[in-house]
Amino acid sequence: MPSYSLETVLAVRETIYRATLALDDQRWEDWLALCSPDFHYAITSFSPEINKDMIYLQGDYKDMENMVRMLPKHNTDHSPLHRHTSVYTVDIADDGRSAEALSSVVFFQNMLDGTNSHIDSGESRLFLLGRYIDTLKVEDGIAMFVKREVRLDNRRLDKGSHWPL
Amino acid sequence: MPARNESQWRATPPLQEGEWIDSRIYSDREIFEEENEKIFKHVWVPVCHESELPKPYDFRTTSIGREPVIICRGPDNQIRAFLNVCPHRGMLIERRPSGSFLEGQPSGNPTRITCMFHAWQFDLKGNCVYVAREKEGYQDRLCKENVGLRRLRCEVKFGGFVWVNLDDNPSVSLEDWASKPFQCLRQTLEEEPLEVFHYHKAVIGTNYKLWHDTNSEFYHDFMHYHNRVTGFNDAYFARKNEAFDHGHVVVGTFEVNYANYEGFESRAELSFPHLPPNQWYMIDLFPGFNFNLRGSALRVDVVTPLGPDEVMIEFRGLGLKSDTPEERMTRINHHNSIWGPFGRNLHEDLIGVAGQGTTMRPGTEPRNILHGRQENQTIHDENGMRHYYDEWGRWMNRSPREPDKAYSPSQAVAAE
Repeated sequence: MPSYSLETVLAVRETIYRATLALDDQRWEDWLALCSPDFHYAITSFSPEINKDMIYLQGDYKDMENMVRMLPKHNTDHSPLHRHTSVYTVDIADDGRSAEALSSVVFFQNMLDGTNSHIDSGESRLFLLGRYIDTLKVEDGIAMFVKREVRLDNRRLDKGSHWPL
Repeated sequence: MPARNESQWRATPPLQEGEWIDSRIYSDREIFEEENEKIFKHVWVPVCHESELPKPYDFRTTSIGREPVIICRGPDNQIRAFLNVCPHRGMLIERRPSGSFLEGQPSGNPTRITCMFHAWQFDLKGNCVYVAREKEGYQDRLCKENVGLRRLRCEVKFGGFVWVNLDDNPSVSLEDWASKPFQCLRQTLEEEPLEVFHYHKAVIGTNYKLWHDTNSEFYHDFMHYHNRVTGFNDAYFARKNEAFDHGHVVVGTFEVNYANYEGFESRAELSFPHLPPNQWYMIDLFPGFNFNLRGSALRVDVVTPLGPDEVMIEFRGLGLKSDTPEERMTRINHHNSIWGPFGRNLHEDLIGVAGQGTTMRPGTEPRNILHGRQENQTIHDENGMRHYYDEWGRWMNRSPREPDKAYSPSQAVAAE
């Protein structure tokens, strides 16, 4: 293993975990700050019902920037999401300048408005299960997302969400 | 008027008959059970699209009115539907949502529909072709010919959708039931084969009719920032709500200005056949099926009521089968940016009906639900819901306004 690998692995893990915290805290700009200008984001799933790979949402950096900027204009379920991310593998390219990482992610929804806030608020529900399939570039010891695929197991998505996952 | 006391709150609103209904039709368990028996077991249901069974021996499973249903494409390329129930001891025959009978199963052979429980096998026409140890158990008293599957009325129509009716003798043919509302889009949907590219489902704590109401009234566009900025203009407010026999409604089209929403683009270059750019048609079929075409992508909603306060909604997105990969990707993006589970509008619609469901749980007080907007049958007129509930009353023989009383034609609806 080249000498830079461990540091690079740690940098990749650091970025993934910082992204998780930023997304949990709805610090969308902080999340985007971890993404490269050529970033591409997608939420995908496979449907055995129609036997097809599906893309539930996708966009480039600008699309994501637009999306989060427009959030205040949209009605939304206010129940915050809490992600539990576990980075399973980090594979560093031979030149040490890019990496691919696979993480397991579980999304809990901590009910706030929910269906009836008097009853639901304060309860946490399992919302989604999936994986983060990330490609990152590494420069000067800092890893940034170039690509993130949120690969969901779910096709039952109930009310869905306006927020990036 | 200031906030009202209870008697004021419950008082008859100053509207015509038919312009409000009693919330118990959304919350009463007895009414829900009656709907399953009187409506869902007798109407045509668009259970899936033919592209979900592209090859012989492909199957899909679904349910109507709690009855499990299997849809198969036979070796003769015909699509047929059967109850997904083994005639032996009532086992659910196929448990997966989809698949192919070309694959062998632990209990059975390829090309057969096999019940795993006792290995009874059926062909793709529903004939029983194998009963394990038939002679030993039944001697000459019962044979394969006596135990075929229960076939169901099944047709492929209106753009390749597979329609099933549990009733062997439906009161009206599928063609007569839906051809008039589909007239506005029939040429568009039947010009060339369509293909499903999107599927997801939502289980929401609300009554199925409330979802259909949301699909048939557009007054709620005030909830959608996207629709306000891309729609609210003279042409939008002139859109017509047209009522058709059997409780169906079509919301007429206009040109949507998608580019008015920051980051979105015109859909003109990928319009479905025979449509001017960026059109938006909506066909709402009684009792809960919706065909929604926004220029470049078709969305279809199918409700499966699970209880008075619970509904499963299946969402499909469709494009043209002939799409290039680039065209398909664009259609997917157009579909999902608004209608996907993480899109701008669907989440808001579902919050809306979930909120209604919260206030109309079984056991909550009966309330007046207003359907009284009159705007010359244009987009914010609530004539679509009035028309729907008149049909509902007819099927149920209950007054939507006073569900304990028998149906009588509403004067307000009759006037329209």
